[in-house]
Amino acid sequence: MEFYLSLLTLFGFRILLGLSAYVVILTGQISLAQAGFYALGAYTAGAASSMWGWPIFPAILLGGLVGGLFGLLVGFPALRVRGLFLVIATLAFTEIVRMVFLNLKYTIRVGDRTIGPAAAEGFRGITYYFQNGWSSLQIVAFTWFFVLVVLLAFWLMDRSRAGAVLRAVGEDELAASSVGINLTAAKVAAMTAGGFVAGLAGALYAHYATYVSQEDFGVLLATFAIAYALIGGTGSVLGPIAGVLFFSLLIDGLRFLGDWRNLLFGVLIVAMMNLRPHGIIDVGLVRRVASLLRPGGRKAYAGD
Amino acid sequence: MTDLVLDVVQQLLNGFLFGSSYALIGIGFTMIFGVMDKLNLAFAVTGLAGAYTGLLVFHLTGGPFVVVFLTAVVSAGLIGLVMELACFRWMPRDYPLASLMATMGMLFFIDEVFSHVTHGRPMAFPAPMGQVVMDVGPWLLRGDFGFMFLVSLAVMGALWALVYKTRLGLATRAVSQQPVAAQLCGIRLRRVNAAVFVITGMIGGVAGALIGSAVGNLSPLLSLPLTVKGLVTAVLGGLGSIPGAIVAGLLLGIVEYEALFFFGIGYRDMVTYLLLFAFLVFRPGGLFGQSRH
Amino acid sequence: MLAIEGLSKHFGGVQAVQRVDLNVRQNEILGLIGPNGSGKSTIVNLVTGVFPPTEGRVRLRDRDITGWQPHRVLAAGMGRTFQSIRLFGGLTVWQNLWVAQKAKSWLAVDRASMKKIEATLEFCRLRDKKDELARNLGFGEQRRLELARVLAAEPDLLLLDEPAAGMNAAEIEDLRDRILALKQRGKTVVLIEHHMELVMGIAERVAVLNFGVKIAEGPPAAVQDDERVREAYLGHRR
Repeated sequence: MEFYLSLLTLFGFRILLGLSAYVVILTGQISLAQAGFYALGAYTAGAASSMWGWPIFPAILLGGLVGGLFGLLVGFPALRVRGLFLVIATLAFTEIVRMVFLNLKYTIRVGDRTIGPAAAEGFRGITYYFQNGWSSLQIVAFTWFFVLVVLLAFWLMDRSRAGAVLRAVGEDELAASSVGINLTAAKVAAMTAGGFVAGLAGALYAHYATYVSQEDFGVLLATFAIAYALIGGTGSVLGPIAGVLFFSLLIDGLRFLGDWRNLLFGVLIVAMMNLRPHGIIDVGLVRRVASLLRPGGRKAYAGD
Repeated sequence: MTDLVLDVVQQLLNGFLFGSSYALIGIGFTMIFGVMDKLNLAFAVTGLAGAYTGLLVFHLTGGPFVVVFLTAVVSAGLIGLVMELACFRWMPRDYPLASLMATMGMLFFIDEVFSHVTHGRPMAFPAPMGQVVMDVGPWLLRGDFGFMFLVSLAVMGALWALVYKTRLGLATRAVSQQPVAAQLCGIRLRRVNAAVFVITGMIGGVAGALIGSAVGNLSPLLSLPLTVKGLVTAVLGGLGSIPGAIVAGLLLGIVEYEALFFFGIGYRDMVTYLLLFAFLVFRPGGLFGQSRH
Repeated sequence: MLAIEGLSKHFGGVQAVQRVDLNVRQNEILGLIGPNGSGKSTIVNLVTGVFPPTEGRVRLRDRDITGWQPHRVLAAGMGRTFQSIRLFGGLTVWQNLWVAQKAKSWLAVDRASMKKIEATLEFCRLRDKKDELARNLGFGEQRRLELARVLAAEPDLLLLDEPAAGMNAAEIEDLRDRILALKQRGKTVVLIEHHMELVMGIAERVAVLNFGVKIAEGPPAAVQDDERVREAYLGHRR
């Protein structure tokens, strides 16, 4: 039972990470910066709850806010950089964040222990859950509270005009601008939202793992983030969920293969991209399902 | 001259010579982008994979460096072809994200293969020029760096001849400028693409073998840094520009070695990234940016 | 209504547009013609802010909008369609209009705006396709959607960049009726076209460009008879 609760919690972080990449990809920006926002959320929330004595809920929110702030800061320069250049620039951002944490030392003594980011040794002692006697079930529920809120928010966004606007920007920026869409506002908003969600995810992860280090927040994580969104498909919020399920079930479920299952990760990505280049849940699939589900009569509005 | 100036120039020399291998990796990234308008993130590990194959041959036969080197080059070329088939041939032309993601997958797959086969530990690579050191005035010229530079120069020369003096090179240039028109003129796109991947693969193999022999060993930990440096070189030089990649590679080498001298290894990579940012903000086209896109 | 004063643009060595002056009157249909490469589309791009001019000014209802970005130009009341179709392929017909619709909120659209979208779809005869993905539409439908989309933003002045390209005779008749209907509703239309019959048939005035310079302007009949225009299209008389 413990194992499944743990797995469910991990799914939660991954889905949030995938959603953070998803919202940015909608606007046509491929960002490897989500891992950087994740790291910033993790360290900030960890510091808040274990070093500054914050209660857990505000600590997690702080992680999200810091992630969102950096999303905003990255969002503006990102406007100047197109397509593949953005991939490289955001990769550089994530690496810089990682290197900062590699060198950052900020510790305090709490009782008889030293707590805080200790450069290469990482950040130990994010033990809020343990100290307050949270059960695995409580941790899962708390984590999934955030996941469900974000899922709902994004689902509503997708059904609303804002969702169509973001996708329009991703489709054709010139046309979008010519029909009145403020490109700057749309793209920066998406990056900020992505940063916020990634920050939340990192904050939750830090408390679950109790120990984080910059090793956890590199290019691999950044790739997972966009893999969840690209392989799961960006047709709807279910896409990143499909992506997470795809990887997690296949990889975690094939534990009997031992070490070799890591090889599977790369091969699966290549295979999936050849088979379904637009992802599992792409726009075409969403439309087909929508038309199957629609009742015979016509509705006044069809936002979905 | 003061000691400081002597050291700075020494590092300049080292960086310039070592940067020639970055230039080769940058050339690979930039050529693929120029011809296919897509990025192959797995290029650097293709070269590294070639080097590892050469190492395998070395362990099996204990053979001379030439054999190791040639094995590296040929196998990297073949792996490049596999890359083209797996990540580019059957992908939608108008949706580059799919290829990008696929190359990421290959990058991780190949990196995992390295880790598995080597159990994560670095392995010694034959370094024929390892002990050779020449004096150039008050400075030292490391034989292995010098060798690297000369071989890279030869490869660049061969590439120049290929691109400007052969039909394949002509076809490649045509495709990189106007893919549709080139096809209409009878150029077989598939063949050109495959050829580009094989050739750049071979260049990557050269780079991998040279780096292995200069550093003295190969490690799976090289995958990511080489990829990043290759990308930085290609972007700095202007995606699609071979001369740009050469200049940028040498420049990056110099910057790295100076940064290493002044700041130490912890901050060396940060200088690289900051250089990248500076270019992306002020000169996104790179040094010799192409205007096709 | 729209005043273009001394507009120039060069790209590297090419002078695409040279000191063009043009006035578009309220509620008129102005034709803009010229051989390929004469700078017609460049003028549209300059005026709507796709790139800034090298020289000159653009005034919309006496407001200087030179160099404004496209979304601000649209908000000021001027919209355009594209020569090559630039629809949002992954969005439905409805969504294509939805993002362009002039309305206050970005989250939801009020009933009044909904009705307007329906009306615009009706006007362009796309009502029964409203849930289709834009990329699955036929060519004629896509052209109509281009127009419908910009109409949803309710601009007062429309720049139509070669809307008849690739259309058959029936579709062109259809387009003609639609442009005349727009004039009826008080819109101002600048029609950039190659299709002479269409332009000469409905434009009240026509301006002619050649190699980036305006070479003639006036009622259609006068322009058609103009020596310089004939030369531009057909070459020198021998």
